[in-house]
Amino acid sequence: MSDDARGWRIALVPDSLLDIRGTSSTALPDVVSVLEESGYGLLQLPPPGEHRLLLAVIADQVAEYSHHGYAVVAIGVRGEVGEGLHWRRLAPLLRHRGAALPPRHILRPDRDAAAERQRLAAFLTGYDLPLEEQRRWRV
Amino acid sequence: MEQNAPHKVALIANCLLNQNAKVCQGANYRGVVSPVVEALRRRGYLLQQLPCPELAFAGVRRWWAVYEQYDTPAYREHCRRLAQAIAPQIEQYLRRGDEVILIGLDGSPSSGVRFTSSNPDWGGRPNRPQDDWKIVPRRGIWIEELEAELARRGLPQLPATGWALDMGCFDEAGARRDLEEFLDSRERAAGSQGKDPAAP
Repeated sequence: MSDDARGWRIALVPDSLLDIRGTSSTALPDVVSVLEESGYGLLQLPPPGEHRLLLAVIADQVAEYSHHGYAVVAIGVRGEVGEGLHWRRLAPLLRHRGAALPPRHILRPDRDAAAERQRLAAFLTGYDLPLEEQRRWRV
Repeated sequence: MEQNAPHKVALIANCLLNQNAKVCQGANYRGVVSPVVEALRRRGYLLQQLPCPELAFAGVRRWWAVYEQYDTPAYREHCRRLAQAIAPQIEQYLRRGDEVILIGLDGSPSSGVRFTSSNPDWGGRPNRPQDDWKIVPRRGIWIEELEAELARRGLPQLPATGWALDMGCFDEAGARRDLEEFLDSRERAAGSQGKDPAAP
């Protein structure tokens, strides 16, 4: 895939973190820009609510990625229902599809946004699949 | 900021926020397609990512394909399922008076808005010469099915355009100009109707 620019890393992101009005009114960092800088793509999770069908569709996609050499993480927000990640619903859907649960990073709106941004960037930069897995798939 | 005030919402093709969804050798960015996201956010749009129909149907290691290959009852049924998954959110936006636009991926057999890729001869062993498909003015299969689902719910057709990533020879500056013109035209239309285009 030599002509291909994909970063092979993806973050599950709560709906609220894509709302720039939300992040400008709280201490949360602009997560989309951190993901851009870190070379991650994102999968947007729905807002609080049932969303059974949509979460199943998202679980299908996460399983497909995790079975083919992509690193998947989840970014939650402390204080939101289920940290914005729908984990109680999503985790069994992923297990059912034989996909490992993505490592989670939880943002803290009660902390300094710049520090939270740094903490998130360090998490994103530091995470990837083991080299052996990368070599197997990313050619 | 009044969270219940009408918003501007951009439904965007999955791969515009996640280039890992692209078919092999189709990703032009590492992850987020920054020019699209920047243009939309600068104008105050909330982003609503659409599901990727091809990834969930044929996987991340799928072959390149054209419109005719995906134009099957099974794929259309799959797209209808995805449309039914996301349509309630879109319906909610429209019912509360949000301005909703759609940004697809021109040239894509699934997510094309103004153009899709076509070649009725494609099929069999994947050894086609490079670039032997045509770009034709037509929706992709996914966009057709999404629009059909919204119509079934009695919702209006959405103003739509496509980021021209899959047109054979990607020209980022041209794609950016196209998108900006589309978004500016929306602001002018909102202005002529007495709406405040800056109000999210």
